[in-house]
Amino acid sequence: MPMYQVKPIGGREIRVDLPTCMYRLPNIHRDDGDRDHAFQDAEVDPAVKALEARQDEIMRRLYDLKAAVEGLSKTITTPDADIDVAHLSEVVDSKPLAGTADLDTLLGKNYGALRDIVINANPSHPPLSLLVLHCLLRKRFHVLSTVHVHSSVSNVPPHLLACFEEQDKNQSRHDFQLGFTLIWKDVPTPQMKFSIQNMCPIEGEGNIARFLFALLGQQQDPITATLVDSWIDMAIFQLGQGSSKEKVAVLRTINAALGRSPWLVGANRSLADIVTCCVVLQAAGPVAIPANVQKWMKSCENLPEFNGVYKLLQ
Amino acid sequence: MTKEENNGAAEELQIQSKKALKKQQKEAEKAAKKADKQAKLAAEQQTTSEEDFAKDRYGQPAMVQSQQKPDRVLVRIQDLTPEKADQLVWVRARIHTSRAKGKQCFLVLRHQQFNVQALVAVGDRASKQMVKFAANINKESIVDVEGVVRKVDQKIESCTQQDVELHIEKIFVISLAEPRLPLQLEDAVRPDGAGDEEGRATVNQDTRLDNRVIDLRTTTSQAVFRLQSGICHLFRDTLIKKGFVEIQTPKIISAASEGGANVFTVSYFKTSAYLAQSPQLYKQMCICADFEKVFCIGPVFRAEDSNTHRHLTEFVGLDIEMAFNYHYHEVVDQIADTMVQIFKGLRDNFTTEIETVNKQYPSEPFKFLEPTLRLEYKEGVAMLREAGIEMGDEEDLSTPNEKLLGRLVKEKYDTDFYILDKYPLAVRPFYTMPDPSNAKYSNSYDMFMRGEEILSGAQRIHDPDLLTERAIHHNIDLEKIKAYIDSFRYGAPPHAGGGIGLERVTMLYLGLHNVRQTSMFPRDPKRLTP
Repeated sequence: MPMYQVKPIGGREIRVDLPTCMYRLPNIHRDDGDRDHAFQDAEVDPAVKALEARQDEIMRRLYDLKAAVEGLSKTITTPDADIDVAHLSEVVDSKPLAGTADLDTLLGKNYGALRDIVINANPSHPPLSLLVLHCLLRKRFHVLSTVHVHSSVSNVPPHLLACFEEQDKNQSRHDFQLGFTLIWKDVPTPQMKFSIQNMCPIEGEGNIARFLFALLGQQQDPITATLVDSWIDMAIFQLGQGSSKEKVAVLRTINAALGRSPWLVGANRSLADIVTCCVVLQAAGPVAIPANVQKWMKSCENLPEFNGVYKLLQ
Repeated sequence: MTKEENNGAAEELQIQSKKALKKQQKEAEKAAKKADKQAKLAAEQQTTSEEDFAKDRYGQPAMVQSQQKPDRVLVRIQDLTPEKADQLVWVRARIHTSRAKGKQCFLVLRHQQFNVQALVAVGDRASKQMVKFAANINKESIVDVEGVVRKVDQKIESCTQQDVELHIEKIFVISLAEPRLPLQLEDAVRPDGAGDEEGRATVNQDTRLDNRVIDLRTTTSQAVFRLQSGICHLFRDTLIKKGFVEIQTPKIISAASEGGANVFTVSYFKTSAYLAQSPQLYKQMCICADFEKVFCIGPVFRAEDSNTHRHLTEFVGLDIEMAFNYHYHEVVDQIADTMVQIFKGLRDNFTTEIETVNKQYPSEPFKFLEPTLRLEYKEGVAMLREAGIEMGDEEDLSTPNEKLLGRLVKEKYDTDFYILDKYPLAVRPFYTMPDPSNAKYSNSYDMFMRGEEILSGAQRIHDPDLLTERAIHHNIDLEKIKAYIDSFRYGAPPHAGGGIGLERVTMLYLGLHNVRQTSMFPRDPKRLTP
């Protein structure tokens, strides 16, 4: 016994006059033999056990997730590990899920201003696919389209300044549902700004195309979406910016895919067709265009939304 | 112990004697030097008294009183280029700096923004006395110099003419400056903050303005006012090309044109008159007189007792008024295009001036869109609300909100120039035309540069009845504005316009921070001179 033993100062039993106006509760300090016993018997409370099991489960799922992400990052950093789109496209029979395009849910709360999508693009490399998407947006929404020239560029060809059709001048800005402001500017890649408070700018024609297409409200199942994404990336990076060898290879892949189906993904015209076709139009240049691709481009050309683009190229 | 002490004393003695010896030696040296100097001085005096072979090559000739018309051609410093190498030229310039070094004297000669290095060295052309004379000319004096242009091997980084220097053969003082300058030109062009670190001086605004003549000689001031002249010229040029007519309006007027407050009263014989706050009424009268499109450039007076970075009591107004066919946006587009043409002209023709100003006052280049971005007031308010500002629909923009909106617009559209259209009717003057679709708003607009308002304009009411109604609504004494209302009684075309402050445009284009820097002789509540 390391301490002194001291006699209790007070008497053993102190009588406390408890007020009668209060509830009477059992003494919580008194030894509760039964409960103690049960605790020792089961070693651990079942509730704690359950909690532990849950944590283990969460940790296991986290590890799985980590492994999955690592795997994914590996596929992204090694280009060859990409999925083979050409073959997947046969398997999937995509059915465009018709969704409602509610701008409030897609773009966030409106503060009473025109929702203005600003796109900066270099006049030496017009983002044709975005103009096609602009046509589609105009079919669906009441869009105010304007073109400006930024002071960083001079001598923008007149046909680029007139790339949108005339529209009703009598309406004021706030009568429109959506603004589409195209600014010809000295930028390396197209750039889109929408809400400067809540959104960072979107860089690259393919990414902007995805954003604009999402506004049209066509929901896609994940596989279709992945296929479309992969075609877009292939078009923008390998066909648009690659060497002529790469271009030939990509055109061959496209040709093969178009041999099996009239469109690149699924039974209908998708975003993949829009972007890829525009890039082929712009970037193919001296490279010979295979037969299937030519046929497919003809059918793209016949779509009304491509009218403006062909006008620009002439 | 004692031994040591003894030793120490001896040593001390020795040291002392050594010291004494040294002292003696030094004194002897000094005396020798003195004698030497005296001898030299005497010798110099002798040579002076002897003869100066270059006597005719320097000096201070009689004041130019237009005695003669010599055929001498003066070459401008900016034209001293390597093509002129080995030519003998005459130059008139100011002494920017001078530095004597033995038998040589380096001068920097300056004319406007340009300067060149010049050299006087003792030789067969220049005597010792001539070098001394050149070295002793006060800074800022004006001299006529004859010299040979020589190419240099190493670029002279400190001068604008980097590839040549001038070997002076003759130097004459045309106008001598006082030896003490109220401010040094080098100090006046030093960027803000750079002086603090190196312990060098910068010149404060009031000293500059008190000695404006010297301050205006700095490269920065030269560039600012050359650019300002460019703005005026481009404004005039663009509008005349668009078919506008330049008009002159009276500046002494009988009734206050805008509102009535903030007006200067001047005595006018037996009665009093006012200084015009804007040429508004006269512009509108010219429209009623079928001039269709008019503009005027002239002084505008505002008796506002506000000492801010952007208010002056007298400034130059660039005013536009134009009759339109059906929609006032016709006018807005014309004004905006005029501004864009000015910006383009400045960008293309004043590159060196902009660079010079940027050296002292760094700023981002001015960016703009063509056609100009036009937002509606509602949109501006919505953008501010999204950024967390709380304000009412019909509230006017406060200065900080104006700046913030400018930043938001710049962020999204990357433009320093934009138009805000459709202001609430409540915050505009009584002659502003109400919006046809929403009585709360009006057909009025402001234009902004770098987030500060430069132009305020509107479609004016051209119907006398509506004008009367609006005036009554604003509790304006109808008697006082009778002449104004009457001018619309004999048929008036629909019209709109606006006015720009020249100093503000210059300031904001260059990204300067005080309008006094862009007013040659600024007038504010505390300054009436020079």
